[in-house]
Amino acid sequence: MDPSTAAPPSVGASGFWQWFLQRVSGLLLIALVGVHMWMGHFSGLADVIAGSQEELVLYDIVERRLAQGLFIFVDFSLLALVLYHGLSGLRSVLLEWGPAARRGDQVSIGLLLLGVVTFAYGAKVLLVFIL
Amino acid sequence: MAAPLRTFLACSGLSRDRLSGSRAGWWAWLLQRVTGLGLVLYIFLHIGVISTAQLGADTFDDVLAVLQTPIFVVLDLLLATAVLYHGLNGVRVILIDLGVGVSRQAELFWACLVLTALTMATVTFFSLPLIVRG
Repeated sequence: MDPSTAAPPSVGASGFWQWFLQRVSGLLLIALVGVHMWMGHFSGLADVIAGSQEELVLYDIVERRLAQGLFIFVDFSLLALVLYHGLSGLRSVLLEWGPAARRGDQVSIGLLLLGVVTFAYGAKVLLVFIL
Repeated sequence: MAAPLRTFLACSGLSRDRLSGSRAGWWAWLLQRVTGLGLVLYIFLHIGVISTAQLGADTFDDVLAVLQTPIFVVLDLLLATAVLYHGLNGVRVILIDLGVGVSRQAELFWACLVLTALTMATVTFFSLPLIVRG
């Protein structure tokens, strides 16, 4: 690789916190994604196969689930963490590419804005079921 | 081994691990990147699909009914495979970061693959009625 196009090494406090938060968010997501996928894909499987429930996911089912505080917490935490983990991972991949690495600050700000806007939109969608 | 392939392996970093003599670490890294990028794309698709709730319960149920047809159940199983591998290999990466199992990183990679395959075989078996339903 041409040294002039190589990404700068991740050093210092910001590099450490990015590394640390990526791992902490990853571990939390294992539990949250597990709950989310179980509720969405498997919890009603027996009922659907038996014919007593039309589909695995229906509006009413999501609405009933989000009437419980625990699942409101799970879904909002999941939305925030999955966006942080995914976009932070994407940033790491992009910054390994020379042209993006030379505009590291712009890439970071762009992804941060994308994350904030997507979280706001996702939260608005979740509130449709809650309010 | 042909010279161009040797050159590609050397330049791409697809070299053998100095401790284990295996290329497993490179494959684990590549699969983590590919599944990660795919899952980031899926997050935005998923939020887009769920956002149809803003158009009312009937529209949401109509869209979700299409997404629970057999072809989408198969795609869901592929998604679950990517999630499972990404999560398991993520734990492997954390263990290696902490200095645990560094000399056995290749075996840990194979363990991730085997666990993913066994879990998904079980999940697919229980999901078969959704795939074959008319």
